[in-house]
Parts: sequence; structure tokens; C-alpha cells
Amino acid sequence: MPEETKHGVECTEFEALLSDALEGKLSAARKESFEAHRRVCAVCGPLLTDVQAGRQWLRSLALEPVEPPVNLVHNILAATSGVVSTRTLAATRDGRTTPFGERAREWWDSFSASWFRPVAAFVRQPRFVMSFGMIFFSFSLALSAAGVKPKDVAKVDLRPSALRHAYNDAQIKVVKYYDNIRFVYEIESKVRELKRANTPAEPGPEQQKENRKNNTSGQPDQRQDRNYSQEYNQPVLAALRAGAPITPVLRDGVGDASPAVTVALTATTNRRFV
Amino acid sequence: MEEAQVVGLLVRRCVGGDAAAWEEIVQRYHRRIYNVCYRFAGDSDNAQDLTQEVFIKMYRTLNTYDAGKGAFMTWVTTITRNLLVDHFRKSKGDRITDSLDSAPSEHEDAQPLSEQIADRGLPPDAQVQSRETREMVHLALQKLSPELREAVILRDLQDMDYREIATALRVPEGTVKSRINRGRAELARLLQRTYKQVI
Ligand SMILES: [Zn+2]
Repeated sequence: MPEETKHGVECTEFEALLSDALEGKLSAARKESFEAHRRVCAVCGPLLTDVQAGRQWLRSLALEPVEPPVNLVHNILAATSGVVSTRTLAATRDGRTTPFGERAREWWDSFSASWFRPVAAFVRQPRFVMSFGMIFFSFSLALSAAGVKPKDVAKVDLRPSALRHAYNDAQIKVVKYYDNIRFVYEIESKVRELKRANTPAEPGPEQQKENRKNNTSGQPDQRQDRNYSQEYNQPVLAALRAGAPITPVLRDGVGDASPAVTVALTATTNRRFV
Repeated sequence: MEEAQVVGLLVRRCVGGDAAAWEEIVQRYHRRIYNVCYRFAGDSDNAQDLTQEVFIKMYRTLNTYDAGKGAFMTWVTTITRNLLVDHFRKSKGDRITDSLDSAPSEHEDAQPLSEQIADRGLPPDAQVQSRETREMVHLALQKLSPELREAVILRDLQDMDYREIATALRVPEGTVKSRINRGRAELARLLQRTYKQVI
């Protein structure tokens, strides 16, 4: 602690210069005093090391951006302008070159998301359940009839071109298998349409021109000064908003355990900044 | 033509009712927005929902975008960020009710990062940029406070400059710099702690 008080002013300056220093933007004189402080200060030296290391870790993420699901553009367009070009349609249908396992997971995710959301609750009627049951039943029947063992399923290529080869090579049962897949895909998009039909239609930008008179700020919306910690100081004993839909938890259980947010950790460094 | 001019033209065409122009905007920006949402929210389902919400909001308010007041990407980031704030508050509320319902452990260390990483048998070499390494950094990122997380995402993953970030977050540039450095340092400490426990 005595060191901190001794270098108090210098430490603050060091922090202020940190970003520019990392980007090599410091003048020669400033760089010298920055380096001098780094060498002698027991707090700022390790801090610089941590900041550099953290930046390196983050760069490793930046090098490999995550590829969005292939149907994202299609879904966005369907939810906004409602106009989907043939180019996007083709990309949505043919862009599925990911391994079977991932496609199956993605399909299951979107299926379960559509299925378990309250907005699609009405499709949970017995006749729908029966239809889906029948699809899975005939799907597995077709698979076993075609001599496909469960462990072989991972090697099955679902691209239409590959399936056409299979059609030429193998028995007619394989065609039935393909038809079932297509049928499932069509059912899936029907469920999406039903779901979309339940959400209010978006007005086009041209219909909102009159709003411009009221909003000349060029800002996307009125609620501007938002922050995450607005509610931090208010103890919340229980929160269940009136009218909030009770979503079945099944959806979250499918893919990932979403990591919880911890705020306590920042307390260790708050002292050092701002 | 410069990027800003291209986008300006696309926006004008879109406001005039040109659906192809809107599709072009979606094609151009959906990856970027999806990545911001994915890194912030942590999983693909939420990222998809959030990205769709961003574009719905963009579509509704595109006529309010003023190219004279800043870059299109800054405007888009502001929208994205506002929705992330809403999402965070909502999911925080959900978690509070969840924990009241079920979990006796009120701390988040029920399954610490180190355990998840130990399961994967990760080599303790920071230079190995494997899929597992990225997954581990992604998990650690979720442990940062939202203010620090969004700051490092915009700077180190999206390569936005400090001024743009300050505009999008509506805080002074000095605060942005401070948050970015805190976020980086915090992340490094989390990962170092993890490695120590694994070894
Ligand atoms: Zn110092």
C-alpha cells in the first residue's frame, strides 16, 4: 500500500497512457517515463502484463469469427421486409455443408425452439403431436429398412447431390428417406410461418417517415442512457413480471449451459480505475 | 465508391422501399452483429434472437439514420448495445427467480471454469489457438461484468476505434479506455487462475 500512495499520481497517469502505449502512439519522451514507471512500480508493471495478455487472448477469438446459422438472413428478411430473394433462398437451402452432427443439432435447436415457445403453443395439439410422431417413426423405419445402422448415420451426407447419387446406387427405400427429410424441413418452415403469423407485422420504413419530424437526433431510439448496473443497488428478492410468459425450461436445456454472469470479480480492480 | 457512400446509398434506396437494398444491408452486417451478440450473450440461440431483434429495430428506424452524425456501423452498434442491455437485465431477472426456485448455491462457482477446462484436458500453452482455447476464452469472457465485456468485444473483436465505441456506449473516451484495459486485465487473470488450477 505505501507504494501506491507514493506513486499515486504516476500510477493514474500510467493507466491513462496504457491504451496509447499498447498501440505505439506515445511520443518518445512519454514512452520513456511510461517505461520507467513500469519498471519500478509493483502495481503497474504486472497490470501492463495482464492487459497485454488479455488482449492477446481476445485476438485469438477475433481471428476466428463465428459463422451465423445459414437460415439467419432468411429469418431476418422474413421478419422485416418479407421479401427473400432467390439468392438467399438458395444459400439457405444449399449452404448446409456443415457435418451431419452439427446440422442435426442446429435443426433440433430450431425445431425445439419453435416447438416449445409459448407463441407456438397452439400447435401442441394432439393432431400435430401425432404428425410429428409419425414423421419420426417413418424416418427411423425408412432408415432401418434401408439397412442404415445408428452408427452409420453420422456418415450420411444429406446434400441433395449426394442423395441423388445414393438414389442411383441404392434401392428405392433411400428415396423415401430423402423425402422424409424434406418433409420434416417443410414442416419446420411451416411451424416457423405459424409462429411468425402470431407476431405483429413490422411496419416498413416508408410508413414511418412522419416519425422523422419528431426525431431529428439521428439516434436509433429515445432510451439512450442505458446501462447494465442501474439495478445493482436494489436488492431483488423475487422478480416475476406480471404477464411475462412462463417459458418451459426445456429449450435452454438443449444445447448449452449459458454461463452465468459474475460481477463480484470486478470489485478487485475497481479501485484502480476511474 | 467508399464504404460510407455505398451504405448511404443503400439506406436511401431502402427507405424508398427497395427490398433488394434492405437485403444487401442484411447480408453486409448480419455476421458482424451476430458475432457481437454471440460473444456477449454466450450462446447461439440468444445470439440469433438478438440479431433478429437488431435488424427488426433497424428496419423500423432506418429513416432516422443521419449519415452526417456518424458512421452507419456506430449507429448499428448503438441499437445492438441497447438491445444487449435489455437482454442482460431480463436474463438477470430470470436468473434471480431461477435461483430462488432451485439452486441452494448462490454463487456462480457451482461449475467453475477450471472444471470445465479440466474436462477437456487443455494444454497449458497460451499460443495454441485451438478450438478449445477459443472456447475457454469465450467462457472467461462471459464472466466479465457486462460493461467490461461489451467494451473489449467492440475494441478487440470488432476492431472499433475508441471514439466510435464512446459514441455507441455514450460514455467519455477515457471511460472506454479504462473499461477496455480493465476487461483485458480481468480476462487474463481469470485465465491465469484457471491454468494454475488445471496444472
Ligand atoms: Zn504504478
